[in-house]
Amino acid sequence: MVQIVFYLFILLTLGSAFGVLLTRNVLYAAFFLLLTLLGVAGLFVLAGADFLAVSQIMIYVGGVLVLIIFGVMLTHTKDAGQTDFTRPNYVLTRHRGWLWALVVAGGIFSVLYSALVRANFVLFGREPFFESTVDTIGRQLMTEFVVPFEIAGVLLLVALIGASTLAASSRPDR
Amino acid sequence: MLPIILLSVFGIVLLFLGFLKTRAVLLPAALLFILIALGAGFLEWNKSYLYFGDMLLINNLAILFSTIVLISAFMVVALSGDFLEDEMAQPAEYYAILLFSIVGAMMMIGYENLIMLFVGVEILSVSMYILTGSDKRNLRSNEAALKYFLMGSFATGFMLFGMALLYGAVGSFTLTDIKSYILLSHGRPSLLLYMGELLVLIGMLFKVSAAPFHFWTPDVYEGAPTLFTAFMSTVVKTAGFAALLQLLSVSFSAIYGFWWVILAAITALTLLAGNLTAVYQNSFKRMMAYSSISHAGYLLIGLAALGQQSRSALVFYSLAYSLATISAFGILLLVAKQHTTDGRPDESYSAFNGLSRNNPLLAFVLAVSMLSLAGIPLTAGFWGKFMLFSAAVDRGMVWILILAVLMSAVGIYYYFRVVIAMYFREGQAGRIRVAPFYQFILIAATALTIILGIVPGLFQNIM
Repeated sequence: MVQIVFYLFILLTLGSAFGVLLTRNVLYAAFFLLLTLLGVAGLFVLAGADFLAVSQIMIYVGGVLVLIIFGVMLTHTKDAGQTDFTRPNYVLTRHRGWLWALVVAGGIFSVLYSALVRANFVLFGREPFFESTVDTIGRQLMTEFVVPFEIAGVLLLVALIGASTLAASSRPDR
Repeated sequence: MLPIILLSVFGIVLLFLGFLKTRAVLLPAALLFILIALGAGFLEWNKSYLYFGDMLLINNLAILFSTIVLISAFMVVALSGDFLEDEMAQPAEYYAILLFSIVGAMMMIGYENLIMLFVGVEILSVSMYILTGSDKRNLRSNEAALKYFLMGSFATGFMLFGMALLYGAVGSFTLTDIKSYILLSHGRPSLLLYMGELLVLIGMLFKVSAAPFHFWTPDVYEGAPTLFTAFMSTVVKTAGFAALLQLLSVSFSAIYGFWWVILAAITALTLLAGNLTAVYQNSFKRMMAYSSISHAGYLLIGLAALGQQSRSALVFYSLAYSLATISAFGILLLVAKQHTTDGRPDESYSAFNGLSRNNPLLAFVLAVSMLSLAGIPLTAGFWGKFMLFSAAVDRGMVWILILAVLMSAVGIYYYFRVVIAMYFREGQAGRIRVAPFYQFILIAATALTIILGIVPGLFQNIM
């Protein structure tokens, strides 16, 4: 039963990922991305990583994707409708570097694939256990990893200051 | 650990100082804060501490690297006087970001846990993305910031993936655990470990702009405001190499046979790409960008030939490179302001024509820094190269040594183009007024370059 659900989620993820690549409409691509991210969240649940799955949905589906859709809607202009929707999108465009792109991507994929297939994971082949990880993560963040957790605050502060200064008007008081 | 806490707090204090009506207090305050952090760092001299359950390791090497970062930051802030005159600039914010970015750099230098490395890299990179785009009215700066951001995030993704794989293999993020895992695996560590190391290396090499991950460097360095280019090319490079040195010498020294070939190939590629492309540049700033790639190549020799000498050689070279680069950019800032084409500062070689006639001091400072970058004797750059090359000899890497020497000869060509322009070309350069403190910083950097060039032993005694 779990296996079937697992393969369904994989199908959902891969299919919608291809949808993102093949569609010519940016808004459709954003919606396909929603399905991809949901599929990945489902895979996280099946792997017993419930916290990761929830944050995936909260951050990506809830935050990033809404931002993308807003971006698409706000940047839309009437005179920009030159895109030809009748023809499909080519994954491999006639860009001059496509051979290199293929070699690099294929190389990374094959190396990662062989490494992951041959790796001996600790939990491999064991029955999946479903217990909440939120408790452990919270405790670890407040004990062992408290320093990176605190200093991540500096990172967020920098990002915040940067966003506000870059977005501030650069013209004299208007 | 103390400088990290202090700088985080000082950054926030600076933001509040920005509320004051007068901006004059910002620059001295930022300089004072950096000096305090510098002093606080030396409190831990000769003591080796592990902080907070193996998160940070502060030893003499880390303090030396942080000192170089702080000195670079001090000089960059000191040269930023013009910045306050610009009505629309937001100096409080940018000084605060500079201080926060040093926090990131110091975490990269003294990390013991890979998570600290990651957070440090992110703080430094995000600060750099912002500073690159800080010249909002300049389209080039906007383009550079966006380019840097997109590619930098991609590289960070690689690095994070690598760390995840390392965790998969070892089950821990600390460097010493990775080391003991490799030692206990009887020479047959999991494939995940190799993959993880490779991906982390790719991410870090991108940050220090080694070939073939260097393609972003020229555009970003050229587009960023000159002041922040100076900061980027010194602080990021020093911190990046400190982080690589820590990673390779502590964790992966047992599998040296695996990674030295990769690093040596990247070193050769970086030296070739940086030096040969620099020859064809017409813009001084773009030439400095390629020169920074080539210096990443020289520094990589020290990593590929990891040994007893590598540590002191890398520290010395970073110091020499930082001093020379910042004074060169300091002169560029002054000169480019005098010549404007289409309302933008002129950053080509021809802007330097005849500089020595009316501004002998500026010409001398730039000449010394070019000589140091080229590695001519009696400057610090010569001893830096010498130490790195002798580290290569210790490992018997003769072919890389020959390549490096050849490439430094190429380097002499493009560094001397500026010197020739300054001393032998006719130009209409008028006298450039330089603020006394600005002048003092330039003279101090030049003096330090020459002193280290004449008595390098002075520095080695500290190590």
